[in-house]
Amino acid sequence: MTRSNVVITHEDIDRAHDRERVSETRARRGFRPRLRLFWLLIGPGILVMLGENDGPSMLSYAATGARFGIGFFLPFVVLTFLMACVVQEMTVRLGAATHRGHAELIFDRFGPFWGWFSMIDLMVGNFLTLVTEFIAIRAGLGFFGVRPAVAVLSALLVLSVALMTHRYWTWERIILGAAMFNLVFVPVALLTHPHWGAVGRALVTWRPLPSGPSQETVLILLADIGATVTPWMLFFQQSAIADKGLTTRDIRFGRVDTVLGAALATVAALATMLATAPLFIHHMSTANFEAAEFAQALQPFIGHWGAALFALGIFEAGMVAVITISTSSAYAFGEVARRPHSLNLPFRQGKAFYLVLLVEATAAAGLVLIPGIPLVYIVLLVNVIAVLAMPPALLFLYMLVNDREIMGALVSPIWANVLALGVVIVLIGAGLLFGVSVIAPNALAIIGGR
Amino acid sequence: MSREELTTVMTELEPDQLISTKEHHHCPRRRLTRTEMLLFWALRIYLVFMVGVVVYQIWTSVR
Repeated sequence: MTRSNVVITHEDIDRAHDRERVSETRARRGFRPRLRLFWLLIGPGILVMLGENDGPSMLSYAATGARFGIGFFLPFVVLTFLMACVVQEMTVRLGAATHRGHAELIFDRFGPFWGWFSMIDLMVGNFLTLVTEFIAIRAGLGFFGVRPAVAVLSALLVLSVALMTHRYWTWERIILGAAMFNLVFVPVALLTHPHWGAVGRALVTWRPLPSGPSQETVLILLADIGATVTPWMLFFQQSAIADKGLTTRDIRFGRVDTVLGAALATVAALATMLATAPLFIHHMSTANFEAAEFAQALQPFIGHWGAALFALGIFEAGMVAVITISTSSAYAFGEVARRPHSLNLPFRQGKAFYLVLLVEATAAAGLVLIPGIPLVYIVLLVNVIAVLAMPPALLFLYMLVNDREIMGALVSPIWANVLALGVVIVLIGAGLLFGVSVIAPNALAIIGGR
Repeated sequence: MSREELTTVMTELEPDQLISTKEHHHCPRRRLTRTEMLLFWALRIYLVFMVGVVVYQIWTSVR
């Protein structure tokens, strides 16, 4: 096809304008243009990492800090974010090299059977996760006395307003700004006056270890892994990179974006664990805590403003994730159903894209309002399901990123494959450990040497 | 669409970034080897089994 007979769309024009700014900045020399180039090219990596510091993730970290205090889980969470970096780096290369979303590539390369399978996995996982995000929104705003229906409706309104920009760049900047609020857990942690010596020791020695493997320990372990490595992240980052228009020249920035996002998310995660560590020190039972209860329980240690910040942090975590996760579903649907899928689309042209996004979020929001649902349990199990769904998703990613026909010279080097294989082994091992803890809980005592 | 916009699109986007190109040219399907098929199905069975475990756990804790 010659370039003179192609049809140019509104989406192409928007993307070309974004790329024009990148080209102009790249042509200039000096520190400031480099900084501006960095500003123009970052986004998907930070968004995906801070987006994954979502409601259930923050609740998992809060539960971890409250149940185990400062110890093994601090370096363990750092490790899970390193795993996330390994996995997400592959999506950066894949998106920049092919300019296509993850679901589209699976559909094209492996056929409709596996394409639909992976999309249904994603949709079901995303729907369950969205339910937990609305739980977090409800719980976070509940601290301030906002009624559940009002909280949930407000969140849907924010989601709709963010979409009204019809421009990927504007949408990305707004959500990036909101995602930075995730770091609100840092001042909350500082208010608890953590024992920095113990924190340093735990990060270096991985001690104290949890006292023997129990079903609860395994559940928290899996929930913490599921808080950092999940299937929607693969789909979202690759599609966002294609939508942003990144090319192979931008891969280095994409990597920095991902590592920076992981670093910020790690800081927020560790801060959340430190923030709830006083509950462990004072032997407070948090088994049935929702986010709002964590904030209330922390009030004697960090004051009303500290507790309010914690509750706001939980609300923000849920809100940003509602936006990013529902967007990942809409991207995947559009890619597989061959419908226009971009945040650059006006509503009329991207009706299916926007409708999938809004309908999925609205349905999840509705579920949260049903009285009597065991919300905390759902939250932890959703993270567990995310870990269990990860190995099949990673196999697709691994095969795509090693596919020379679509990746050319950008196929994974051996070290990247070894790391990816290591992540798969850890995930399958954690999944099997969870299986043993449920089916044969006594076997855990044998594993623990008791 | 103005001529200026057309020029911007043509100079700034790579050919396979254009929507019309993506719509008309899909990545060709690859043939899966027996080992790859086996791996796909093994992980699919693993997922179904583990989801069963999760359902079982929910059932036992609700009981």
